[in-house]
Amino acid sequence: MPDRSAPPAGAADQYKPVSVLAGAPPWLEMRGITKVYPDGTRALENVDLVVAKGEIHGLLGENGAGKSTLMKILSGILPLTSGRILLGGREVSLRSTHDALAHGIGMVHQHFSLVPTFNALDNIILGRGALLASPARAAARARIRRLMEETGLHVPLDIPVEQLPVGTQQRIEILKTLDRNVDLLILDEPTAALTPQETDQLFTVLRGLAARGTTIILITHKLREVLALTSAVTVLRHGRVVGSRLTEGATAQDLARMMVGTERMPDVKARREHQKSEPVLRVAGLTVKGDGGQDVVKNVSFEINAGEIFAIAGVTGNGQSELIEALAGLRPIARGRVYLLGQPINGKSPRELYRMGIAHVPEDRHRLGMVAQFSVLENSILGVHHEPRFRRGVPGTIHWGKVRRYARDIVRRFQVVTPSLSTPMRSLSGGNQQKLVVGRELSKSPSLVIAGQPTRGLDVAATAAIRDLLVDIRNEGKAVLLVSADLDEVLALADRIAVMYEGEIMAILQKDQFDRERIGLLMGGVRDGSAAG
Amino acid sequence: MLISSLILGALHAMVPLTITATGEILSERAGVVNIGLEGILLISAFAAVVGAEAGGPLAGLMVGLLTGALLGLIHGIIAVYFRGDQTVSGVGLNILALGVVAIGIVDRWGAAGFHRVERAFRVPPLSTPLGPMSPMVIVTILLAALTWYLLQHTNLGLKIQACGENPAAADAAGVRVERVRLFGAVYAGALTGIAGAYLSIDWLATITENLPAGRGFIALATVVFSRLNPWLAVLGGLIFGFFDSLGLVASTSQALTRVIPYQFIQMMPYVVTLLVVAGVIGRFRAPAASGQPYRRE
Amino acid sequence: MDPRPVEPQELDAITRRERRRQLRAALGGLAEILIALVIGLGVGALVMRGAGYNWRLAYEGLLIGSFGDQWAIADTLASATPLILTGLVFGLSARAGYFNIGAQGQMVVGALAAVAVGAHLSAPPVVAVTLAFLASALAGAIWALPPAFLKATRGVHEVISTIMFNWIAHYTALYLVFNVLNDPRSAERTVRVLPGARLGALIPGADMTAAIFVAVGVAVFMYWLLWHSPWGYEMRIAGLNPSALRYAGANPLWSVNLTFILAGLAAGLAGATQIIGRPPTYALYGDLSNVRNLGFDGIAVALIGRNHPLGIILAAIFIGAMGAGARMMQIMAGVPLDMVRIVHGTVIIALAAPEAWTLLGKFLGRARARRAPAPPAPAKTVHR
Repeated sequence: MPDRSAPPAGAADQYKPVSVLAGAPPWLEMRGITKVYPDGTRALENVDLVVAKGEIHGLLGENGAGKSTLMKILSGILPLTSGRILLGGREVSLRSTHDALAHGIGMVHQHFSLVPTFNALDNIILGRGALLASPARAAARARIRRLMEETGLHVPLDIPVEQLPVGTQQRIEILKTLDRNVDLLILDEPTAALTPQETDQLFTVLRGLAARGTTIILITHKLREVLALTSAVTVLRHGRVVGSRLTEGATAQDLARMMVGTERMPDVKARREHQKSEPVLRVAGLTVKGDGGQDVVKNVSFEINAGEIFAIAGVTGNGQSELIEALAGLRPIARGRVYLLGQPINGKSPRELYRMGIAHVPEDRHRLGMVAQFSVLENSILGVHHEPRFRRGVPGTIHWGKVRRYARDIVRRFQVVTPSLSTPMRSLSGGNQQKLVVGRELSKSPSLVIAGQPTRGLDVAATAAIRDLLVDIRNEGKAVLLVSADLDEVLALADRIAVMYEGEIMAILQKDQFDRERIGLLMGGVRDGSAAG
Repeated sequence: MLISSLILGALHAMVPLTITATGEILSERAGVVNIGLEGILLISAFAAVVGAEAGGPLAGLMVGLLTGALLGLIHGIIAVYFRGDQTVSGVGLNILALGVVAIGIVDRWGAAGFHRVERAFRVPPLSTPLGPMSPMVIVTILLAALTWYLLQHTNLGLKIQACGENPAAADAAGVRVERVRLFGAVYAGALTGIAGAYLSIDWLATITENLPAGRGFIALATVVFSRLNPWLAVLGGLIFGFFDSLGLVASTSQALTRVIPYQFIQMMPYVVTLLVVAGVIGRFRAPAASGQPYRRE
Repeated sequence: MDPRPVEPQELDAITRRERRRQLRAALGGLAEILIALVIGLGVGALVMRGAGYNWRLAYEGLLIGSFGDQWAIADTLASATPLILTGLVFGLSARAGYFNIGAQGQMVVGALAAVAVGAHLSAPPVVAVTLAFLASALAGAIWALPPAFLKATRGVHEVISTIMFNWIAHYTALYLVFNVLNDPRSAERTVRVLPGARLGALIPGADMTAAIFVAVGVAVFMYWLLWHSPWGYEMRIAGLNPSALRYAGANPLWSVNLTFILAGLAAGLAGATQIIGRPPTYALYGDLSNVRNLGFDGIAVALIGRNHPLGIILAAIFIGAMGAGARMMQIMAGVPLDMVRIVHGTVIIALAAPEAWTLLGKFLGRARARRAPAPPAPAKTVHR
């Protein structure tokens, strides 16, 4: 149990890297963990993980490598298929989160586990105390105040968490877990929604916790975070352990090689330089309202030219989603004008916008871009299904033969790996689903492609393929609006970058102004005064 | 005289709507929706008569409660553990009830479709200045208060709300989502069972093949009206109950039925329910995960 | 989710696995329905035994009454006719994501329209029949519109609105039957439709008429609509992933209305089949007994038929057989007609929980594993 009486100040400085690999005795041992899902997918194969008390251990791997699955087993959310878990040398059975918490194991999830309508206080005391007793809010409030002082994690306790920014929700998650007196704190991609500055602050807190005896496992795919924080790291690939090593002395290249194996992230395709031409999209003073009725995109103006990738960077939830929904006709425009090739598009429906030349690869492809239960064939005409070219004699009848030819063409050209055209979309891997969605949208021969988080959740090969496609259409002289929370992706692909923060565009940067740190500051709302327009 | 009979009539018609709605409020807060309330009302109304004729009105109420709880349990197991389709299960309950009670009445009393409950087996009324009033009116208020207290002022209430809003979060906090949801389903069933007993061995003093006559669905409308607040379910029950009893009172009044055909008077509660639900619903937000099975991973 | 990217050389294996999966799913679906039917009949038998009836004799009567001879079969098909239509009402709506239980009311209104037109409009037979069908389809569609409108504009849940409209239709019908469409010569039914508007029995002495071709025709139309037209394509999107509907360029408001209107048309036709297509009455009974519960039975039909037009036809024949055979069951074993409802309800409840069987299998598997000698290898095995 962390020693709460230790002086908070300077605790982070006292952190000395601890690791089993450096001779410390093992405390947590996961031995031979195998996880097979009911559908036969083998998510983990004979995985070993050994961590010492007070260690900060990194769990590194690509999306889908099995990191989260392993930790969900450790926190009692998923049952394991075979293997053993030992804590302090004794075997433990973790059949529920309840069990895990009883053993002092707590997990902070990537998708926050907060009840959106509850305030922070109720979220923290949820699930505790006698059933019919009144919630002990007063005592909890005092306890959490103390905890906030100790850790430096300050949050408002009485506002429903759905009204709080994601960074704050993240802190509530950590407080919630710490309040359970956990000895082992698991964090799943905790920095996904944080600015670089907030990330630094979080790491300071974590070092302080470890210095006082809390063991920490950090799930991440970001090499920089592993190097900055952990004492040792275990790398997973395709559900197997590639290896464990001390962080000290490791380089980003070493870890990257372990993480992606021989599959090297291919360079992004060469871009052809060409003359600046007519703006394809012109956005003037655009304001869009969010679901709650408040302005979430505020008076935004920009232009996108033919033959360029215009990227919008920013922490998720700063109005990017609403912006692209408005441009795609899925959300009303509150104020401002938008022109596509000189034609106003205010108030047009998605179908009209498609006819005018907008293709849209939606951020949330599972919710918007496809129907999971439909076959590949049926998904390939989503949005163009009403067109005369897919009709046959009897009025209004879809000519499935013609659709088949069309779908086969998309599958071939965009290298979608699928057993057949009649396979349900949900049976495809995420990368192939996305290739079909992108292929379908590009087959609409658009003049503007709106791409929202096009590589989120995809493996290396699929990511590279999608990025190449985006550069291809840029090279063909089309305009691309790319919205991505992945700064590396934005830096690699964009001709110009706009940084969004709380619904406003902080700055629009030209290629020669790209600078990671400056963009990081802008993403966190810090304007540098020299922002170029 | 007319005023006091209207007030009493509204109170008496409120009881089944509010008790049923109150139970369903807790269940929906926990994430289980039951559109089989109509069927539970019917079966427990029947069971209560059997119980009352064997052991008196209190036994009848208890049998009604237990029958309802059992049916709620079946629905809950299907919804929670089998992750079944809650709406389909509810529809099944409604159809099953029609068969069980139709056959039960014939089997028990030899008469098809109808059986009158003798005074000795009915819940005895209290005498009030307005006239004889069922003690179940008070029980209704107590149940609404109990439900409100459970939801708003206990740790269990927090768990229930978390299970309806974000079961994954509740799970991560160590709440046993399945048990909480099952509790909700059984609670709704038990309360609906009391309401069913009230219909047969108290208010209407009879059991027929279709005794609830849509009151299970009006109770669902009351749940919508209440925005899942038990006190508003009392108000909603009173509004719907007023028109229900107005229909009952008015259709026996010769003077009125000469002007308005009694069929239209009897139609009134359904029309009013539609109008109120259409008018009030506005920005009603059901718990985010209500009606959806919870699956880990 | 497969954590690994799919290699082309694995394709063959995937294709085989995929085919097996599809076949298993199809067989599993059929097995689920069969198990549910067996459970329903089993519970029915238990209830009959408990109530002191001879359940074997009852089921024998049910079988003789429904499939015993050509007249019995014709009666079964006659009973199935309205059920195909009301089943399609629910099935089409469910495919589009709506729980439309308004078939009952829409059908009652359709029956009223058939009486009104059929009894008062003298025209050549084909014209009269066609007009009566059209009028009842139209009436059903009009009755379906307010719930659709309330759903689209006010967010009123269709279960509540359609049930309320069922009751309103019920009392409206009672009023009209006694006050407007009443027959001076008979207190217990409305006026009868004119001979020109009547469909005759296909087999003398049985109830089946050409109305069954109308029902099957509507089923074929629904099949074409759902799987071969862009509108049905959009309806299925609405049912499976409503968020994708606007993305796909469809108008959700239009989709709700189209679904409810088409469903209402079918419900109205179901009402007409009971008036102009069902000898010998050709009128609506004062207690509405010749349209009683047909709408609700349609829900059972659609659920058992898995909301597929072909499945709905087969399920309607099954439920229709129980309806047609119930009278013989009553005669032979003295069991009340409503017994069949216990079977329907149980079948539906059993169908609501397909995972029950998987879980039951798991449970039995675990119990068997416990009895068998402990497996040697891993210390902790969680059966999947």
